[in-house]
Amino acid sequence: MIPVETYDIDNENEWCPGCGNFGILKAVKKALSELDIPPHEILVVSGIGQAAKTPHFMKCSGFHSLHGRALPLATGAKIANHALNILVHMGDGDCYGEGGNHFMHAVRRNIDVTAIVHDNRVFGLTKGQASPTSAPGMITKAQPHGVVAGAFNPLAVALVLGAGFVAQGFSGKPDHLSALIQKGIRHKGFSLINVLQPCVSFNPVNTHQWYAERVYPLEETDHRTDDLPLALQKAMEGDARIPIGVFYAEKKPSYTDRLPALEQGPLLDRPFAPETFQTLLDALF
Amino acid sequence: MSIDVTVKIGGEAGQGIQTVGTLLARTCRRAGLYVMAVNDFESRIRGGHNFFQARIRDQVVRAADDRVHLLVGLDAATDDLHHDQLVPGGLAVMDDASKPSGDKILPVPFTALAREAGGKILANTVAAGACLALLGAPLELFQDVLSEQFKEKPGVIQDNQKAAALGYHAVEKTEFPHAFAWKETAPKGMLLSGDQAIALGAAAADCRFSAFYPMSPSTGIHLHLTALADRLPLVVEQAEDEIAAVNMAVGASFAGVRAMTATSGGGFCLMTEGLGLAGMSETPLVVIDAQRPGPATGMATRTAQADLLFLIHASQDEFPRFVFAPKTLEDGFTVTVRAFELSEKYQVPALILVDQYFIDSLVLVDTPLQAPASLERFILEPAPEAAAGYRRYAFTPEGVSPRALPGRSRALVVFDGNEHRDDGHTTEEAANRTRMVDKRNAKIPSMRKEMHPPETFHPDAETILVGWGSTYGVIRETVERLREKSIDIGHVHFTDLWPFPVDPGKAALATARRRITVENNSTGQLARLLRQETGIALEGKILKYDGRPFYAGELEKRVRNLLEEGS
Repeated sequence: MIPVETYDIDNENEWCPGCGNFGILKAVKKALSELDIPPHEILVVSGIGQAAKTPHFMKCSGFHSLHGRALPLATGAKIANHALNILVHMGDGDCYGEGGNHFMHAVRRNIDVTAIVHDNRVFGLTKGQASPTSAPGMITKAQPHGVVAGAFNPLAVALVLGAGFVAQGFSGKPDHLSALIQKGIRHKGFSLINVLQPCVSFNPVNTHQWYAERVYPLEETDHRTDDLPLALQKAMEGDARIPIGVFYAEKKPSYTDRLPALEQGPLLDRPFAPETFQTLLDALF
Repeated sequence: MSIDVTVKIGGEAGQGIQTVGTLLARTCRRAGLYVMAVNDFESRIRGGHNFFQARIRDQVVRAADDRVHLLVGLDAATDDLHHDQLVPGGLAVMDDASKPSGDKILPVPFTALAREAGGKILANTVAAGACLALLGAPLELFQDVLSEQFKEKPGVIQDNQKAAALGYHAVEKTEFPHAFAWKETAPKGMLLSGDQAIALGAAAADCRFSAFYPMSPSTGIHLHLTALADRLPLVVEQAEDEIAAVNMAVGASFAGVRAMTATSGGGFCLMTEGLGLAGMSETPLVVIDAQRPGPATGMATRTAQADLLFLIHASQDEFPRFVFAPKTLEDGFTVTVRAFELSEKYQVPALILVDQYFIDSLVLVDTPLQAPASLERFILEPAPEAAAGYRRYAFTPEGVSPRALPGRSRALVVFDGNEHRDDGHTTEEAANRTRMVDKRNAKIPSMRKEMHPPETFHPDAETILVGWGSTYGVIRETVERLREKSIDIGHVHFTDLWPFPVDPGKAALATARRRITVENNSTGQLARLLRQETGIALEGKILKYDGRPFYAGELEKRVRNLLEEGS
């Protein structure tokens, strides 16, 4: 086991005191430490938002990219070198709003990355507008009469699109979350871990206390992770009681497992063979 | 006597005009002839009117002409629309159902003969047989091309050969004044299409990843890459949209393989955000813009050269990039290889401007294409003891920081689309911001030194035509024709457009008294760029923006008109 301090970095952490992101970061470091993945063997790709600052707040290789675009960027990186261990950190607006189309297609491709979505049901960095996961009726400065649109249900959407690993954690339970992240990293294929977290600055509704009163671990019920209709039922349970844990897990070949060009190892490691190509060229002539 | 014959085959979408046109071009290749063909088609799957126009010569041909010797019509529109292009002694061979008779018209029962050979669908092959008979080609040559084309489908060969023979024999007694002698000779060179030239260039440069979203006229580039992908270390991915395509390419390049995407102007609009990310994060990236008329959807299957200034400026704020526009199809291969190399060397995006005319042209190329025998990757593999101190954006005098790959050493490799410190971590600190902008811009002088001067042909003439990209062939032929008529005219042509090669550009333009820009856009974007970069204001403009390419005769007329106006 790698000491968890190994991932600590000497950068100022810009998150608000009390932010749910701290619990998530703690869970990530603990997971990597227990899986024995050293900083230089982990790649954190992120979008834009408070969540997406993660690669600056821990030791790792990283690409802090664009709002909404972390998943296609991670997809390209994974195809180029499928030996990379990729965590994708995004917020709810980042992944489900700006990147909604990419999210759906990353699930369809079953690209082997672990998506950790910091879901605080609000836009934090732009100071408090509704996000795709905000509950209808939520009042913000931008939605003074309350959110009109229905909430996006990431777990249900991922399940319906055939995701092989769908889980939900809570930033207030970092040990539980850390176990989910470890399972997500071990899962070969797209893993979605939606993490419920408070936004202490801009979401006065879904607070730490609010979640703490509602979440219950699926492991403590008779939930089975191989039952898709049951997983979907759990994903659609609503806000009265909120399940956390692994909703659904199914082994299936990941995107890079199915590409013939990658059978001989990472694309990056294939030798440059100009003579093969010259033969192809000469055949045209 | 030299051969210079243009054949135009027209019909509805779905009648196999392109297929039969390509077969005709292959037949010419087999006979050691040069050919240059353009595809003109509508954005529809069935109906409408499309044509394939091939110019056959016994010397290199780089431009389409607007004088037609032989019209071959599978629909009535072929004659209705193009009859006035026929030269003296020219002939329109028409399906008898659409054109029973008329001046310079030879009705042939294409459809009836096709049914006799096996089905209405073979009308295009019947027409090709008739066309080759009139041109004086031996039937066996065409039969051989057909067997090669359909070698995996023996039944199809038989029907097509029968159709070809029926078409051939239906007209073989007709005297056609523009027929010429077909020699028994070895096949010459290769038939190269524009999309294929770009794809081969990318593969030659060891591009290993390409993502795309289908968009005319760029899609063919990816189809050609896909055809190579089973035999090379290459993955071609159809993305969910152009935004994903460009970001996938950035991700793949970041992880260490050469990567690209190709699109047309509308798709490029969606890619500008990702282009900026490549600029800010200093990630190598090659993007091909196969231009078509815009804005918005514009005309999907038509041609334009109207994205030059857009590409030079695309994405917000300022960052260095390369912009190229290959002048010929072979140049498309070479420029693509260079773009990958330079993009990686300077860690900047390299953009290539082609257009529908370029992409859908077919040209007989007689010099074999050569892949580079070795590549320099400009990638750092830090030793374990150096890894701890690795800084992705280390300040260097020339602006290029050593680039390590994530997961390949003990170095922590942090790329950032936010403004960042030299270690890749985000900062808004003012002095660092200025220093980082200066670091990126510091690459520009070396990048400019990499730029090739414009190609010149009699630049000291009284008048010069100035162009960029795909218009090279038609401008050169126009200038040659005018020089034969004792007009003192030259040609200056730009392929390397950004960073603009200021000194050689100025020198090339310095002597002529009258400088005329020739462009497929409505404002003269190259002329604006030249004025901005060299201070030289060109004296004239010949612009065409109807979605069609310039044809040699047409451009010659427009130059003459302009010269007469001004004299």
